[in-house]
Amino acid sequence: MMMMNQGVNAQTIASADPNSLEGRYIVDASQGKTSFIPSVNGSETASWTTHRVDNHSTENGILSNPSYHHDQQTQQPARNAQDSLNTASLSSSSTQGTTCAVQDYSSYAAYNPTDPYGYGNSGYSTSYYNNGYQQQTNNHSYSQQQPNHSYSQQQPSHSYSSTVGSYQNTGAPYQPLSSFQNTGSYTGTTSYSTTYYNPGDYQTAGGYPSSGYNNQTPLWNDPSYANYTSQQYSTYAPDTTSAYSSSTAASTSMNNEQHYKQWADYYSQTEVICAPGTEHLSAASKTNQGSAMSGVYPTSSTQPTSSFTPASWRTESASSDLPSLQTSATISTAHDGWKQGVPSFQNHHASPMQPHFQYSLDSKASYDNFQDQQQQTAPQGPNSQFPAAHQVTQSYQSPLPNAPSLDTRRVNMMQIPTNPRIASNLALGLSKTDKDGFTTDAAAKPAYISVSMPKPNNKVLSNDTTISMLKPGKFPNSLCRYVERAFNLCKDETQRVACQAIMKEIITKATANGTLNTLDWDVEPLFSIPNSEAVNVESSQYSSPVSSLPKYKRSPSRRSKSRWEPLPEEKSVDKSVSISNDIVQYGGWARKAPSANSESKENAVNNVKFSLLEQKLPSKNNQRPAKRQHLADGLNAANNDASSDSDKEQSLTAYYSSAKSIANTPEEKKRRESRSKRFEKGQGYRTEVNYFKPKNAGAGNLYSRRARALMLSKSLDDSGSKAVEDFDWDALTVKGTCQEIEKRYLRLTSAPDPSTVRPEEVLEKALLMVHNSQKNYLYRCDQLKSIRQDLTVQRIQNQLTVKVYETHARLALEAGDLPEYNQCQSQLKTLYAEGIEGCHMEFAAYNLLCVILHSNNNRDLVSSMSRLNEGTKKDKAVKHALAVRAAVTSGNYVMFFRLYKEAPNLNTCLMDLYVEKMRYRAVTCMSRSYRPTIPVSYIAQVLGFSSTSDGNDEKDSDGSGLEECVEWMKAHGACLTTDNSGEMQLDTKASSSSLYMPEPEDAVAHGDANLAVNDFLTRTPL
Amino acid sequence: MLTTPSKKQPMLFFPEFRNWESAWALEALYVVAYEIRILAERADRELAFNGKSPEKLKGAGSFLMKVFGVLAGKGPKRVGALYVTCQLFKIYFKLGTVNLCRSVIRSIETARIFDFEEFPKRDKVTYMYYTGRLEVFNENFPAADHKLSYALMHCHPHNEANIRMILKYLIPVKLSIGVLPKDWLLEKYGLVEYNNVIQALKRGDLRLLREALEEHEDRFLRSGVFLVLEKLELQVYQRLLKKIYIIQKQRDPSKAHQMKLEVIVKALKWLEIDMDLDEVECIVAILIYKNLVKGYFAHKSKVVVLSKQDPFPKLNSKPVNS
Repeated sequence: MMMMNQGVNAQTIASADPNSLEGRYIVDASQGKTSFIPSVNGSETASWTTHRVDNHSTENGILSNPSYHHDQQTQQPARNAQDSLNTASLSSSSTQGTTCAVQDYSSYAAYNPTDPYGYGNSGYSTSYYNNGYQQQTNNHSYSQQQPNHSYSQQQPSHSYSSTVGSYQNTGAPYQPLSSFQNTGSYTGTTSYSTTYYNPGDYQTAGGYPSSGYNNQTPLWNDPSYANYTSQQYSTYAPDTTSAYSSSTAASTSMNNEQHYKQWADYYSQTEVICAPGTEHLSAASKTNQGSAMSGVYPTSSTQPTSSFTPASWRTESASSDLPSLQTSATISTAHDGWKQGVPSFQNHHASPMQPHFQYSLDSKASYDNFQDQQQQTAPQGPNSQFPAAHQVTQSYQSPLPNAPSLDTRRVNMMQIPTNPRIASNLALGLSKTDKDGFTTDAAAKPAYISVSMPKPNNKVLSNDTTISMLKPGKFPNSLCRYVERAFNLCKDETQRVACQAIMKEIITKATANGTLNTLDWDVEPLFSIPNSEAVNVESSQYSSPVSSLPKYKRSPSRRSKSRWEPLPEEKSVDKSVSISNDIVQYGGWARKAPSANSESKENAVNNVKFSLLEQKLPSKNNQRPAKRQHLADGLNAANNDASSDSDKEQSLTAYYSSAKSIANTPEEKKRRESRSKRFEKGQGYRTEVNYFKPKNAGAGNLYSRRARALMLSKSLDDSGSKAVEDFDWDALTVKGTCQEIEKRYLRLTSAPDPSTVRPEEVLEKALLMVHNSQKNYLYRCDQLKSIRQDLTVQRIQNQLTVKVYETHARLALEAGDLPEYNQCQSQLKTLYAEGIEGCHMEFAAYNLLCVILHSNNNRDLVSSMSRLNEGTKKDKAVKHALAVRAAVTSGNYVMFFRLYKEAPNLNTCLMDLYVEKMRYRAVTCMSRSYRPTIPVSYIAQVLGFSSTSDGNDEKDSDGSGLEECVEWMKAHGACLTTDNSGEMQLDTKASSSSLYMPEPEDAVAHGDANLAVNDFLTRTPL
Repeated sequence: MLTTPSKKQPMLFFPEFRNWESAWALEALYVVAYEIRILAERADRELAFNGKSPEKLKGAGSFLMKVFGVLAGKGPKRVGALYVTCQLFKIYFKLGTVNLCRSVIRSIETARIFDFEEFPKRDKVTYMYYTGRLEVFNENFPAADHKLSYALMHCHPHNEANIRMILKYLIPVKLSIGVLPKDWLLEKYGLVEYNNVIQALKRGDLRLLREALEEHEDRFLRSGVFLVLEKLELQVYQRLLKKIYIIQKQRDPSKAHQMKLEVIVKALKWLEIDMDLDEVECIVAILIYKNLVKGYFAHKSKVVVLSKQDPFPKLNSKPVNS
């Protein structure tokens, strides 16, 4: 491996060297810093070269190879691996200092992410980056950078990917710890990163939280460290690889810078972007690069971890760093190399310890350079990385301002682990580092910040400013503010990128000059300050990245979209960007990163995780894998614990990535649905978006599409720019598949499930069933409501709809259920208005009667009447209703009860509800007008008590009607007497003062007898 | 679209107006309020013409409601409240959301600090017109009579269009409390649709009333007086019975107070209105119940026994008992 790496490195180095002085600078710095680990340096350089080679190999071979190389390197000489990676990156960086930086950044970013989140982040970032680089980035950014670097050359990168695979393998062991997650995240990230640097960062950030955090500290840290380290180292290597790969890719396509920029943008957007990136990555190259990355990470992490822990960045990170340091020397060298040369990496590594800080500073410087370059080329990428680096550097840097870049990176790496802790366990001692990391992360990695929440960014900013302040190695707060200011001035991605680049330069210079901490950044002019202070610049850059990151995120996302447009990830990125600000995004990234990592692992290493993840969740794999990894790995769990949001985000990112890659498994869809439901709010949007995108990429289900549409519509306000306005709602309408005729009504609380919605033909059968059902009204009402719901959900508006509503309205009338009737009536009104045929007249009559008899509103009545046209007025039912109205308004009870007896349709039912009132009015009137008595038989006849009999046999049926009437009269306080002939008479004079309206027998306090619990239970079917 | 310019300026104007202690800018406010309503109406017409949902007037209503809130408090600006109220009435009546008038009316009528008579006359007339119309809907005829009469009395005599609008509602109200207008009034203000209604009341011609209602049903429904006019039927019955009573009295004063149901049925038949005994008995019972006829009905003999003193009391500006 080493040889391979070296060989590759050599190539890469060659390329790297040629590529950029900066890379060399970095390298040198790293070397100089590596002096910390001279051997490391040497090894680093060698490793770097090897790394480069690895990277190249990875790049060339495929990220996985590089990652493998990295792994190997990391494993063997983690340093070497890292170095190799670094070298690779360096080479790339050298070739393209920026690219290297970018790679570094990416790795850093990853680291950063890891810092905040822990490894996961880094992993993510790395993975993202890696992925992005390798996969997408590789192609793009890599292509961009690659041109510079050997990356392009980087065929090695391919080898890297392969190596990454090996790494993953190594990582596998690690993976169990964090590496897996990391790897997972890495893969995820890689995928992301590949897609977007930013995403990568974000992812990494996210990843960290999830995996790194969980394991956090030790395990995670270790793993994460391992990852980180691996990431750093390996990551670096991977990153580098990824970066390299990317760079290679970039080299191939020169895209690196762009990518970086994009990444930077992404970073700025990063968190969000990362997610997208991750998505992209996940979707496309996630696994490969991610795998490679992850593989690398794991390996490196495992190795690095230990070493890093010593590094003490945060113990874990330190441990990871240590390894990284040791290896780190290599790694740092690698970093340096990455950045621009192994040296810087070495330096970083060296600095990581303390050196780390210094190194980090240096590395930062170099990173800065790289970043600068990268930033310039790919501000975001650099930023993200830088941020990480910054963080690291900050935390570390505080010790050593210069080391920053590497250190920062490492720190970032370290921080990442710590970050995870922080994220998950801020309480950990790492918290400081974490904070730093966060701050750095924030600066460097918005994702982190976002992960840690905006606060981290602020912190980061402050950290950045206080590179020395932040932790020992943090940037002065003023620098952070400075960066913030600078970024705030940025109005678009390009500006941000430029800003980032400038910032990097400034900070790098400041760091180099040692003025980073001494400068009054608050007074420092913005942007016009290219050199003012390297450290400051870095910090500023970092901070700028941070500040810019958010912006970038947005703009990056856009850019990413534009660039990535082909990729669904872009959308996710955008979304993620919008979301990116939120921790969730970060988390998502992290998660994604993990997933990506897992994928990458799977791909590269074919690790169980990946396979699992991927297998389990092809598209979802990312998320699930991430989750699973998390679950499986204590680290992951820790990460999850650390931030459910981040997990979710990660899952989201994973979704994205996985979605792309695996995209459209039914499981995924379901999961997506559920997730989308879960995250319907802010996160949900992202997820949904992600979902959608993946779905889009793959084969959007109605579900997903609908969910997406919903999400989009919801998120429109938030994201604003989603351009979801023109949905084809018809395409999103549910098509029912349920064949059950009977279905209980349940008010929907979520998007309808096609499997529970009945298509139209089944609904027709259901309607028929209800028609013929002998069950009680409650049952039939329930069935009809479910039919109505299914119709509504499927947006069916035709004669069947009218029939259903008419049927229900009639049933409700028969049962005297006015509220339900009114619902149907109002629906029918609109349906008729649309010209759908139905029993228009009948229901016009019902409506009229309803107004007359029950609303008792003259204005409504007048308006209802004025709406009737001539044709309608000639309808029998309407005529009847109008006659009833006249009878009611004039109080003509005789007419009323005649109409009552000959009412067509269900007019009787409506009149039924008014009969009691009418009778009472009539009796009151009679008792006032008649003297001395009225025969009850006459009253019974006039007031419709003989309803059981027809007019013909009134006299025969008088008996029953009479009895009923007498009972009614008595109930209402009428005075009845019997005259000489034995006929019952109403004593009108006595009754005129004694009549009263009795309380309804079934009256209940709350006014609705149907609400009585017992009654309801007894009446409810089933 | 038309409201766009008009909506922004008031938005700038009203905050300033709110801060001015004196009411010196009331005239400007009047113009703004008026223009808002007019523009909103036009915009709605345009929107409806283009198939869009017209909701500008609604927006104007909610905006003017805020303006009203500024004016309705204490201070010199209160004098402008009634104008805005009237603009609100116009909007609400146009939109058919007259229930929204209630809160405005309450705040005008319950405020003791400001005598209603201190408002500008034109606003008072408009206000009384609209509140009178509301009372017509509520079938609160005495109140409607009071308000519409106030509006009529204070309306500028040269503003015949406004007088006609007031009479359109005042005449049915007056009819339902037993006051018939002179023919020249109907002619002068072109309210000929009430001619036959009044003739029917005078003659006790149920058929003429029904024909008149049927003929102008759309118009009456639109203005909302259809139900009011329909209730005049009882007065027509009363007039018919009174005529029968007078005829009976001329033939046989001693038995004039006993009116056989058959006679009434026969009279209705002569009017080509087909009603059987039960229905007529019911009508008579209602007439007695509503105190349009004094007396009682003997079911056994199917005879209406009229009071010997004033069997058909005049309404005397009181509504028919309900």
